[in-house]
Amino acid sequence: MAIFGLWVRTFSGSPVWVLKAIKVINKAGGLVFQRNFADGLAQLTSNEYLVLAGTLHGIHAITSRLSPMGSSSGAQVIEGESFKMTILLTATATKFVLLTSLAEPNPDNTLQKVYEIYSDAVMKNPFHTPEMPIRSEGFDARITALIGSGQ
Amino acid sequence: MTIHSLYIYDRHCICVYYQDWHRTRRPKPAVEGGILPAVSQAVSPSPHLANTPGSVYSGYGSPRNTLSSNTGVVVAVNDMLAQAPPTPLLQAPPSPSPATLTSTGLAFDEEAKLVYGVILSLRNMVKKLSGRDEQFVNYRTSAYKLHVYESVSGYKFVMLSNPEAESLRFILRQIYIGPFLEYVVRNPLVQMDSREYGIDNEYFRASIDRLVRGLSVFP
Repeated sequence: MAIFGLWVRTFSGSPVWVLKAIKVINKAGGLVFQRNFADGLAQLTSNEYLVLAGTLHGIHAITSRLSPMGSSSGAQVIEGESFKMTILLTATATKFVLLTSLAEPNPDNTLQKVYEIYSDAVMKNPFHTPEMPIRSEGFDARITALIGSGQ
Repeated sequence: MTIHSLYIYDRHCICVYYQDWHRTRRPKPAVEGGILPAVSQAVSPSPHLANTPGSVYSGYGSPRNTLSSNTGVVVAVNDMLAQAPPTPLLQAPPSPSPATLTSTGLAFDEEAKLVYGVILSLRNMVKKLSGRDEQFVNYRTSAYKLHVYESVSGYKFVMLSNPEAESLRFILRQIYIGPFLEYVVRNPLVQMDSREYGIDNEYFRASIDRLVRGLSVFP
Protein backbone atom coordinates (compact mmCIF):
# COMPACT_ATOMS: atom_id res chain seq x y z
CA MET A 1 0.00 0.00 0.00
CA ALA A 2 1.12 3.50 -0.47
CA ILE A 3 0.02 6.54 1.37
CA PHE A 4 -0.05 9.21 -1.14
CA GLY A 5 -0.32 12.58 0.22
CA LEU A 6 -0.49 14.00 3.62
CA TRP A 7 -1.84 17.46 3.12
CA VAL A 8 -2.72 19.89 5.77
CA ARG A 9 -4.97 22.79 5.23
CA THR A 10 -6.10 25.30 7.77
CA PHE A 11 -8.69 27.95 7.61
CA SER A 12 -6.77 31.12 8.19
CA GLY A 13 -9.60 33.56 8.70
CA SER A 14 -9.94 34.51 5.07
CA PRO A 15 -11.80 32.25 2.67
CA VAL A 16 -8.50 30.90 1.46
CA TRP A 17 -7.56 27.36 2.35
CA VAL A 18 -3.93 26.84 3.05
CA LEU A 19 -2.58 23.43 2.38
CA LYS A 20 -0.08 22.36 4.95
CA ALA A 21 1.54 19.09 4.06
CA ILE A 22 1.59 16.33 1.51
CA LYS A 23 2.94 12.87 2.01
CA VAL A 24 3.11 9.93 -0.31
CA ILE A 25 3.73 6.42 0.91
CA ASN A 26 4.28 3.30 -1.16
CA LYS A 27 2.50 -0.06 -1.08
CA ALA A 28 4.64 -1.56 1.63
CA GLY A 29 3.90 1.30 3.98
CA GLY A 30 6.91 3.36 2.97
CA LEU A 31 6.56 7.08 2.47
CA VAL A 32 7.31 8.08 -1.12
CA PHE A 33 6.10 11.66 -1.10
CA GLN A 34 5.58 14.16 1.64
CA ARG A 35 5.12 17.84 1.52
CA ASN A 36 3.98 20.53 3.92
CA PHE A 37 1.93 23.44 2.71
CA ALA A 38 1.26 25.54 5.74
CA ASP A 39 2.17 25.92 9.35
CA GLY A 40 -0.12 24.75 12.09
CA LEU A 41 0.89 21.18 12.48
CA ALA A 42 4.19 20.24 14.00
CA GLN A 43 7.27 20.09 11.82
CA LEU A 44 8.63 16.58 12.03
CA THR A 45 11.77 15.04 10.67
CA SER A 46 11.48 12.88 7.58
CA ASN A 47 12.22 9.87 9.74
CA GLU A 48 9.24 10.64 11.96
CA TYR A 49 7.04 10.95 8.90
CA LEU A 50 8.24 7.55 7.77
CA VAL A 51 7.27 6.05 11.11
CA LEU A 52 3.86 7.71 11.05
CA ALA A 53 3.23 6.45 7.54
CA GLY A 54 4.09 2.91 8.58
CA THR A 55 1.83 3.17 11.61
CA LEU A 56 -1.04 4.43 9.51
CA HIS A 57 -0.51 1.57 7.12
CA GLY A 58 -0.91 -0.91 9.98
CA ILE A 59 -3.87 0.85 11.56
CA HIS A 60 -5.64 0.95 8.25
CA ALA A 61 -5.39 -2.83 7.98
CA ILE A 62 -6.59 -3.42 11.56
CA THR A 63 -9.58 -1.09 11.36
CA SER A 64 -11.10 -3.14 8.57
CA ARG A 65 -11.11 -6.17 10.87
CA LEU A 66 -12.89 -4.54 13.78
CA SER A 67 -16.20 -4.05 12.04
CA PRO A 68 -19.24 -4.89 14.14
CA MET A 69 -21.46 -5.05 11.05
CA GLY A 70 -20.26 -7.09 8.12
CA SER A 71 -17.18 -6.36 6.09
CA SER A 72 -15.65 -2.95 6.24
CA SER A 73 -13.11 -0.82 4.48
CA GLY A 74 -10.14 0.53 6.37
CA ALA A 75 -10.32 3.89 8.09
CA GLN A 76 -11.43 6.62 5.69
CA VAL A 77 -11.42 9.67 7.91
CA ILE A 78 -9.50 10.09 11.16
CA GLU A 79 -10.31 13.12 13.28
CA GLY A 80 -8.41 14.91 15.99
CA GLU A 81 -9.61 18.00 17.80
CA SER A 82 -8.29 20.48 15.26
CA PHE A 83 -7.59 18.55 12.08
CA LYS A 84 -8.61 15.47 10.18
CA MET A 85 -6.90 12.96 7.94
CA THR A 86 -8.74 11.77 4.88
CA ILE A 87 -7.45 8.56 3.34
CA LEU A 88 -8.03 7.42 -0.20
CA LEU A 89 -7.22 3.80 -0.89
CA THR A 90 -6.87 3.16 -4.59
CA ALA A 91 -7.51 -0.12 -6.37
CA THR A 92 -3.79 -0.67 -6.56
CA ALA A 93 -3.46 -0.37 -2.78
CA THR A 94 -1.76 2.98 -2.94
CA LYS A 95 -2.95 5.33 -0.20
CA PHE A 96 -3.32 9.07 -0.52
CA VAL A 97 -3.62 10.93 2.73
CA LEU A 98 -4.79 14.48 3.05
CA LEU A 99 -4.51 16.49 6.25
CA THR A 100 -7.03 19.28 6.46
CA SER A 101 -8.81 21.38 9.00
CA LEU A 102 -12.01 19.87 10.39
CA ALA A 103 -14.16 22.27 8.41
CA GLU A 104 -12.67 21.39 5.01
CA PRO A 105 -15.77 20.63 2.98
CA ASN A 106 -14.58 18.28 0.29
CA PRO A 107 -11.30 16.50 0.95
CA ASP A 108 -12.39 13.45 -1.05
CA ASN A 109 -12.58 15.51 -4.24
CA THR A 110 -9.13 16.91 -3.67
CA LEU A 111 -7.75 13.43 -3.11
CA GLN A 112 -9.38 12.21 -6.29
CA LYS A 113 -7.68 15.04 -8.17
CA VAL A 114 -4.35 14.19 -6.59
CA TYR A 115 -4.84 10.64 -7.74
CA GLU A 116 -5.41 11.88 -11.26
CA ILE A 117 -2.29 14.01 -11.10
CA TYR A 118 -0.37 11.04 -9.76
CA SER A 119 -1.57 8.88 -12.62
CA ASP A 120 -0.66 11.50 -15.20
CA ALA A 121 2.58 12.85 -13.82
CA VAL A 122 4.04 9.84 -12.08
CA MET A 123 2.67 6.61 -13.49
CA LYS A 124 3.01 7.75 -17.09
CA ASN A 125 6.59 8.76 -16.47
CA PRO A 126 8.84 6.04 -17.95
CA PHE A 127 11.69 7.10 -15.67
CA HIS A 128 9.72 6.54 -12.50
CA THR A 129 10.38 3.33 -10.57
CA PRO A 130 7.19 2.09 -8.91
CA GLU A 131 7.20 2.10 -5.11
CA MET A 132 10.18 4.44 -5.03
CA PRO A 133 10.15 8.04 -3.84
CA ILE A 134 8.60 10.43 -6.29
CA ARG A 135 11.03 12.97 -7.64
CA SER A 136 9.12 14.67 -10.38
CA GLU A 137 8.97 18.38 -11.01
CA GLY A 138 5.83 17.95 -13.03
CA PHE A 139 4.06 16.26 -10.13
CA ASP A 140 5.26 18.92 -7.73
CA ALA A 141 4.13 21.72 -10.00
CA ARG A 142 0.68 20.28 -10.56
CA ILE A 143 0.17 19.59 -6.88
CA THR A 144 1.13 23.16 -6.17
CA ALA A 145 -1.31 24.33 -8.79
CA LEU A 146 -4.09 22.22 -7.29
CA ILE A 147 -3.48 23.45 -3.80
CA GLY A 148 -2.86 27.01 -4.91
CA SER A 149 -6.19 27.07 -6.65
CA GLY A 150 -7.93 26.71 -3.33
CA GLN A 151 -9.21 23.28 -4.17
CA MET B 1 -28.27 5.97 13.76
CA THR B 2 -27.09 2.91 15.53
CA ILE B 3 -24.81 2.22 18.40
CA HIS B 4 -22.98 -1.08 18.20
CA SER B 5 -20.73 -1.52 21.17
CA LEU B 6 -18.94 0.06 24.10
CA TYR B 7 -15.51 -0.78 25.49
CA ILE B 8 -13.97 0.70 28.62
CA TYR B 9 -10.23 0.45 29.20
CA ASP B 10 -8.36 1.41 32.34
CA ARG B 11 -4.98 3.11 32.47
CA HIS B 12 -3.21 -0.26 32.40
CA CYS B 13 -4.48 -0.87 28.86
CA ILE B 14 -6.84 -3.55 30.15
CA CYS B 15 -10.39 -3.89 28.94
CA VAL B 16 -12.55 -3.66 32.09
CA TYR B 17 -15.99 -3.47 30.55
CA TYR B 18 -17.76 -4.42 27.34
CA GLN B 19 -21.33 -4.13 26.15
CA ASP B 20 -22.94 -4.37 22.75
CA TRP B 21 -26.31 -3.62 21.23
CA HIS B 22 -26.71 -4.15 17.50
CA ARG B 23 -23.95 -6.34 16.29
CA THR B 24 -24.36 -8.75 13.44
CA ARG B 25 -20.79 -9.89 13.83
CA ARG B 26 -19.75 -10.88 17.30
CA PRO B 27 -16.29 -11.84 18.44
CA LYS B 28 -15.85 -15.36 19.71
CA PRO B 29 -15.77 -15.66 23.50
CA ALA B 30 -12.40 -14.86 24.97
CA VAL B 31 -10.02 -17.66 25.70
CA GLU B 32 -9.60 -18.72 29.32
CA GLY B 33 -7.49 -16.08 31.05
CA GLY B 34 -7.71 -13.79 28.03
CA ILE B 35 -9.85 -11.20 29.77
CA LEU B 36 -10.47 -10.28 33.39
CA PRO B 37 -13.49 -11.55 35.26
CA ALA B 38 -16.36 -9.07 35.36
CA VAL B 39 -15.90 -7.49 31.97
CA SER B 40 -18.90 -8.88 30.16
CA GLN B 41 -20.67 -12.18 30.47
CA ALA B 42 -21.50 -12.16 26.81
CA VAL B 43 -17.92 -12.71 25.81
CA SER B 44 -16.46 -14.33 28.91
CA PRO B 45 -15.22 -17.87 28.76
CA SER B 46 -17.77 -19.19 31.26
CA PRO B 47 -18.30 -22.93 30.93
CA HIS B 48 -21.46 -23.06 33.05
CA LEU B 49 -23.26 -20.88 30.57
CA ALA B 50 -22.64 -23.37 27.85
CA ASN B 51 -24.58 -25.97 29.80
CA THR B 52 -27.54 -23.70 30.42
CA PRO B 53 -30.50 -24.32 28.18
CA GLY B 54 -30.77 -21.58 25.61
CA SER B 55 -34.50 -21.19 26.21
CA VAL B 56 -33.89 -19.72 29.63
CA TYR B 57 -32.14 -16.79 28.03
CA SER B 58 -34.27 -16.44 24.98
CA GLY B 59 -35.80 -13.28 26.40
CA TYR B 60 -32.49 -11.50 26.09
CA GLY B 61 -33.29 -10.32 22.60
CA SER B 62 -36.02 -8.11 23.95
CA PRO B 63 -34.47 -4.89 25.16
CA ARG B 64 -36.86 -4.39 28.05
CA ASN B 65 -36.14 -7.74 29.58
CA THR B 66 -32.59 -6.78 30.35
CA LEU B 67 -33.86 -3.92 32.43
CA SER B 68 -36.30 -5.74 34.68
CA SER B 69 -34.45 -6.38 37.84
CA ASN B 70 -36.23 -8.60 40.32
CA THR B 71 -33.39 -9.08 42.72
CA GLY B 72 -32.42 -5.67 44.01
CA VAL B 73 -28.97 -6.99 44.70
CA VAL B 74 -25.93 -5.13 43.50
CA VAL B 75 -23.63 -7.66 42.02
CA ALA B 76 -20.63 -5.44 42.25
CA VAL B 77 -18.02 -7.85 41.12
CA ASN B 78 -19.24 -11.00 39.58
CA ASP B 79 -16.27 -13.11 40.49
CA MET B 80 -18.67 -15.69 41.86
CA LEU B 81 -19.72 -16.23 38.33
CA ALA B 82 -18.76 -19.85 38.19
CA GLN B 83 -20.94 -20.76 41.18
CA ALA B 84 -23.84 -18.39 41.05
CA PRO B 85 -26.48 -18.51 38.37
CA PRO B 86 -26.57 -15.32 36.34
CA THR B 87 -28.86 -12.61 37.62
CA PRO B 88 -31.50 -11.30 35.25
CA LEU B 89 -29.60 -8.17 34.35
CA LEU B 90 -26.42 -10.02 33.58
CA GLN B 91 -27.79 -12.71 31.37
CA ALA B 92 -25.70 -13.92 28.55
CA PRO B 93 -27.39 -13.81 25.20
CA PRO B 94 -28.44 -17.05 23.58
CA SER B 95 -25.80 -18.61 21.44
CA PRO B 96 -25.87 -16.62 18.24
CA SER B 97 -27.77 -18.27 15.47
CA PRO B 98 -25.72 -18.46 12.29
CA ALA B 99 -28.44 -16.78 10.29
CA THR B 100 -28.27 -13.45 12.11
CA LEU B 101 -24.94 -13.40 13.86
CA THR B 102 -21.67 -14.16 12.25
CA SER B 103 -18.36 -14.25 13.96
CA THR B 104 -15.61 -11.75 13.31
CA GLY B 105 -13.28 -14.69 13.54
CA LEU B 106 -11.49 -13.04 16.41
CA ALA B 107 -11.70 -14.02 20.05
CA PHE B 108 -12.95 -11.17 22.21
CA ASP B 109 -9.65 -10.70 23.98
CA GLU B 110 -7.90 -10.35 20.63
CA GLU B 111 -10.46 -7.88 19.44
CA ALA B 112 -10.17 -5.83 22.63
CA LYS B 113 -6.42 -5.65 22.19
CA LEU B 114 -6.75 -4.60 18.57
CA VAL B 115 -9.18 -1.83 19.50
CA TYR B 116 -6.84 -0.62 22.19
CA GLY B 117 -3.87 -0.78 19.85
CA VAL B 118 -5.65 1.27 17.23
CA ILE B 119 -6.76 4.03 19.60
CA LEU B 120 -3.35 4.19 21.25
CA SER B 121 -1.53 4.42 17.93
CA LEU B 122 -3.93 7.01 16.60
CA ARG B 123 -3.67 9.02 19.79
CA ASN B 124 0.09 9.10 19.47
CA MET B 125 -0.13 9.94 15.80
CA VAL B 126 -2.49 12.84 16.40
CA LYS B 127 -0.25 14.15 19.17
CA LYS B 128 2.79 13.90 16.94
CA LEU B 129 1.15 15.57 13.96
CA SER B 130 -0.42 18.40 15.92
CA GLY B 131 2.69 18.94 18.03
CA ARG B 132 0.58 19.61 21.11
CA ASP B 133 -1.55 17.68 23.57
CA GLU B 134 -4.38 17.08 21.19
CA GLN B 135 -6.78 14.19 21.60
CA PHE B 136 -7.77 11.74 18.93
CA VAL B 137 -11.55 11.98 18.60
CA ASN B 138 -12.89 9.46 16.14
CA TYR B 139 -12.34 7.61 12.89
CA ARG B 140 -14.72 6.33 10.26
CA THR B 141 -14.70 3.42 7.85
CA SER B 142 -17.35 2.35 5.37
CA ALA B 143 -19.10 0.19 7.99
CA TYR B 144 -18.68 1.89 11.34
CA LYS B 145 -17.34 4.87 13.25
CA LEU B 146 -15.26 4.62 16.40
CA HIS B 147 -15.43 7.34 19.07
CA VAL B 148 -13.04 7.81 21.96
CA TYR B 149 -13.31 9.74 25.19
CA GLU B 150 -10.50 9.65 27.72
CA SER B 151 -11.01 10.69 31.33
CA VAL B 152 -8.25 12.44 33.25
CA SER B 153 -7.74 9.27 35.27
CA GLY B 154 -6.82 7.40 32.11
CA TYR B 155 -10.05 5.48 31.59
CA LYS B 156 -10.81 5.26 27.92
CA PHE B 157 -14.38 4.99 26.72
CA VAL B 158 -14.66 3.63 23.20
CA MET B 159 -17.93 3.45 21.31
CA LEU B 160 -18.69 2.03 17.89
CA SER B 161 -21.60 3.45 15.95
CA ASN B 162 -22.83 3.57 12.39
CA PRO B 163 -20.55 5.59 10.07
CA GLU B 164 -22.99 8.46 9.52
CA ALA B 165 -23.26 9.33 13.21
CA GLU B 166 -22.17 12.69 14.52
CA SER B 167 -19.54 12.82 17.21
CA LEU B 168 -20.70 10.76 20.20
CA ARG B 169 -18.15 12.16 22.61
CA PHE B 170 -20.81 13.82 24.72
CA ILE B 171 -22.51 10.46 25.21
CA LEU B 172 -19.28 8.88 26.34
CA ARG B 173 -18.82 11.78 28.71
CA GLN B 174 -22.35 11.26 29.98
CA ILE B 175 -21.57 7.61 30.63
CA TYR B 176 -18.52 8.74 32.54
CA ILE B 177 -20.21 11.36 34.70
CA GLY B 178 -23.40 9.33 35.10
CA PRO B 179 -23.34 5.53 35.41
CA PHE B 180 -19.58 5.25 35.73
CA LEU B 181 -19.23 7.62 38.66
CA GLU B 182 -22.43 6.44 40.29
CA TYR B 183 -22.09 2.68 40.06
CA VAL B 184 -18.36 2.12 39.73
CA VAL B 185 -16.44 4.93 41.39
CA ARG B 186 -18.92 5.31 44.25
CA ASN B 187 -19.32 1.59 44.67
CA PRO B 188 -17.02 0.33 47.41
CA LEU B 189 -17.40 -3.24 46.21
CA VAL B 190 -15.85 -2.53 42.84
CA GLN B 191 -12.11 -2.97 42.77
CA MET B 192 -11.04 -0.31 40.37
CA ASP B 193 -7.53 -0.31 39.04
CA SER B 194 -6.93 -3.79 40.41
CA ARG B 195 -5.75 -5.41 37.17
CA GLU B 196 -7.67 -8.46 38.35
CA TYR B 197 -11.32 -7.59 37.97
CA GLY B 198 -13.38 -5.71 35.48
CA ILE B 199 -15.94 -3.16 36.62
CA ASP B 200 -19.05 -4.89 35.35
CA ASN B 201 -22.00 -4.90 37.71
CA GLU B 202 -25.70 -5.21 37.32
CA TYR B 203 -26.64 -1.61 37.99
CA PHE B 204 -23.85 -0.17 35.91
CA ARG B 205 -24.85 -2.30 32.95
CA ALA B 206 -28.53 -1.52 33.32
CA SER B 207 -27.84 2.16 33.74
CA ILE B 208 -25.70 2.36 30.61
CA ASP B 209 -28.29 0.36 28.75
CA ARG B 210 -30.99 2.80 29.78
CA LEU B 211 -28.87 5.80 28.86
CA VAL B 212 -27.95 4.45 25.43
CA ARG B 213 -31.44 3.24 24.59
CA GLY B 214 -32.85 6.60 25.58
CA LEU B 215 -30.68 8.45 23.10
CA SER B 216 -32.22 10.00 20.07
CA VAL B 217 -29.53 8.36 17.98
CA PHE B 218 -30.62 4.92 19.15
CA PRO B 219 -33.10 3.40 16.70
